[in-house]
This record gives sequence, structure tokens and C-alpha cells, in this order.
Amino acid sequence: MAQIIRDPQKNFHNPDIAGVRAASGKKDSRRVTAWGIAFTGAVAAVAYLVIFKRDPYLAIFKFLPDGIAVTFQVTVSAVLLALIIGLCTGLARISENKIIHLTASVYVEVIRGIPLLVQLFYIYFALGRIINIPAMASAVIAMAICYGAYMGEIFRAGIQAVPKGQMEAARSLGMTSVQAMRHVILPQAVKTILPPLGNEFVALLKDSSLVSILAVSDLLRRGREFAAESFTYFETYTMVALLYLIITLLFSRLTGIMEERINAGK
Amino acid sequence: MKIRFLSVLIALLCVLILPDTKFRSYAAEKPIRITVATDATWPPMEMIDENKNIVGFDIDFMNAVASEAGLEVKYKNTAWDGIFAGIAAGKYDAIVSSVTILEERKETMDFSIPYISAGQILVVPKHVQGIEALTDFADGAKVGAQIGTISAFEIKKMEILELKAYDDIGLAFEDMAVGRIDGVVCDTAVASNFALKREEYKEKFKIVGKPFTEEHYGIVVRKGNTRLLNLINNGIRAVQEKGIDKELEEKWLK
Repeated sequence: MAQIIRDPQKNFHNPDIAGVRAASGKKDSRRVTAWGIAFTGAVAAVAYLVIFKRDPYLAIFKFLPDGIAVTFQVTVSAVLLALIIGLCTGLARISENKIIHLTASVYVEVIRGIPLLVQLFYIYFALGRIINIPAMASAVIAMAICYGAYMGEIFRAGIQAVPKGQMEAARSLGMTSVQAMRHVILPQAVKTILPPLGNEFVALLKDSSLVSILAVSDLLRRGREFAAESFTYFETYTMVALLYLIITLLFSRLTGIMEERINAGK
Repeated sequence: MKIRFLSVLIALLCVLILPDTKFRSYAAEKPIRITVATDATWPPMEMIDENKNIVGFDIDFMNAVASEAGLEVKYKNTAWDGIFAGIAAGKYDAIVSSVTILEERKETMDFSIPYISAGQILVVPKHVQGIEALTDFADGAKVGAQIGTISAFEIKKMEILELKAYDDIGLAFEDMAVGRIDGVVCDTAVASNFALKREEYKEKFKIVGKPFTEEHYGIVVRKGNTRLLNLINNGIRAVQEKGIDKELEEKWLK
């Protein structure tokens, strides 16, 4: 994770990394084209299949929307919760209080060492014997806890990338360390944090397909139900893949726009 | 250096991929040796025992059929949703996995003659009163089943119910034990295995009402594979004439 979180200013002097960063900036036209091709291609493919190959694509297309809604619901709630967990973890990881630091570090180590699928099973079925969490809630909690650990590392690295002098300067102006963090460090850290965070959003969206094992009727589950009943595996999964592609492309564009906004306000 | 790395990579890929293809073409030429898929999460019909072997009524039955028909069978544990896609794609030669013979399924696969009958039945928590059939549930009740099974189709037909479709039936029973769903629908044999025979569930569940469907299980072969189908059909007839199927029912289903 750490290698992608670099100060954009520094990267400017490094041609390799500058190239990578430019690919996500607005000046470079290559990514826009690639994104455009992928997006128009996916939308056109869906439209073509639904209009000209009605049987069975239209039926599949009509079957899936509530699954898309559930996928969105899981992703958005998990992202919001993961952001909060991530920020707290990130701050705790740079805390000078040893207990807080150690707790957060252990959390990150443990969660990053367990596959998300196993965590989902664990929270739903293993802990289900003790506390009864509804399927949707356990899906969101499991994804948020998992991604919270990854985001915590992004926040930590982003905060640490802000030159030390900034904190010292803010403190010498009479700010408390909390004030300095809120008004000086975090606003600067956001610029470095946002690109990798955007990647995490998209990754989380794709990983949300794992919640279908909890009998949560997300996009993949709906697709599997349709395919298992109609035996149209090829057609159904083609449609599911295209719809996931469209959603992830929209999300990545959205984070791209947010990045541009923040960089423009520099 | 790069070339060396690439060639190692390619060699590795070959090692990983080739044995499978070799086996498949071999199996296609000589159907005497066949691979049979089963979703071993359906006790007592097909399941994994403590020694990681696939066992159950279906397995014993298939072995009996195979020895009558002169086939050599290798089993492949396969997830239920996708099991029919696998046979169409030629990943195995037959399926023996409590597959109900259905007209819709006949369009994409061939069935042997029926080898056993079963029905769908409802299982509910023991303390629940007044539920004898799917129609007795209140609006919006959650009823679980395995994805892509007749049980799931039957629940879906009832528009007032919410279908919870699980990857395997054990997860549905576990969810009902925890109290997240109101009922589970599955085959009679499976229901009695979970609700009457298992220590951890015996006190929690009960079977209610009568089986509400009448179904016959068949062995599935790839569409158009008449040679294998005939061998299997003859095998089933021989097994039934000798009464081996009755012995197996006694062993697994009583």
C-alpha cells in the first residue's frame, strides 16, 4: 500500500511514478479514452443484448435490478463505516499512547491476515451462535471491518506523508495537537489519501459480490439464481459481468472527479 | 533472465493445465472410465465423511450401477449451482446428485430412468405451532432452500414468502437454528437427516405436513451421450432386478 501513497510533489521529479500519477490526472487523455472505451463498450453491449437478443437477455436484465440495489446498499454502507473505522485506526496507529497504538496495530495485522470470505462466514455463521446479526448487517460489518484495516493503513501513510514541519509549525502557533490534526494535517493528507482510497472503494464494490454466500440477494446472487433455474450460464454471467463493469467504472470516474476537484482547489 | 522466467512460467502452466485436458480427451474416447459429479452437501444422499470420502445413497447406488454396467467411476465434488453448466462444458460425464427429473432440465441434459422417488417437505423450528405447509406462513416470512433446487422453485412460487437461497442446505439449517429464517424446504431424505438424526438439531427442528411434491431422481449425462446413457440405464435395471436398491435404501434412508 505504501508505495502508491507518495507526495505528488515528490513524484513529479520521478519520471516513473510521475507517469503513473499522470494516468489518474486530468491532463492525461489516455485514461479518459480507456475509460470511455470500456464504459461505452459495456453500455453498448448491454443495450445491444437487451434490444436485439431479447431471449434470454431481456429476462435476465429484468431479473437483476433489485440485486444491483442491494450491491449498492452493501457497498455504500460498508464504505461509510470503513471510512470511520479507517480514520480512527489510522490516527490510532500514529498515536503516542502505546496501548492505543498496539490495539490498532493488532487489529490491522489480524484482519489483513484473514480472507474476507472467511471473515464473512465467521461473523455470520460462527458468531451467529452467540449473537444474531441479520444477513445484511453482518455483510456490511464484515466488509467494513476488513476494509477499515486497509483504509487505516492508507490514512496512516497519508498523514505521515505530510512533512513534520507542518505539525511543528501549527503547534508553535498555539494550536493543540487535535486542532493541528484537524485544520492543518488532515486537509493536506486528503490529497495523498484520496487516490488509493478511491481504489479501495472500487475494490470493496467488487468484493461485495462475496456477500452472496450469506444468501444476501446482491447482483451476483440474483445472477446465480437466474442461471441455476434457466441454465443460461453464459448469458447470465455475461450480463452480470457487464453490469459490474459499468458500476465499477462509474465509481472509479466518481473518485477521479473528486480527486480533480481537490487538486484544483490547491 | 526475463526469457528464462517466462519459460519457467509456461512450463508451470503446462504442468498445471495439461493433465486435466489429457484426462478429458481420454474419458471422451473411452466412456468405460467416467467422471461423475456430485454436490456432496446433501446428506444422506451424498456427503463427505470424516475421512474426506464422498459417501451416501447416491454414491453406493452409482457404484452398484457401475459394476453392473462395467464402468469405472471417479467422483468429483462440485458446487450445485454450476453443476449443470459443468456437464454441458464436458468437465465430467455424468451427475448423480439427487437430481430430480424435470421437463425444463431435459432440454439441456439427458436423464436416466428414475432410480428413486422423493418429495419436498417443510422443516420448521420445534416451538413453532400452526405451520403445516408453506401456505400457513405469514406474509414476508423467510424460508430457506439450496440455490437452484426444486425446493427453491417451490418457495419462489409462493409470492408472499421471501426465498433465502443458500449455497448448500447445511447453511440454511444453521441459519434456522440461529433464528434468522422461519423454515427450510428440502427433500424428504435430507429433511429427516437434519431434523431427526443430527444431535445438534434434533431438539430444535421438526418436520411438518406431508411431502408436497412427487419427484423422481435420475442420473444425468451430457445431452446426446446415448452410449453412456444406455450403459447406465441397463445398469440401473440390473441393480433394481437384483434388489440392491432396496438394500441401499435400508442402509441409508431408514
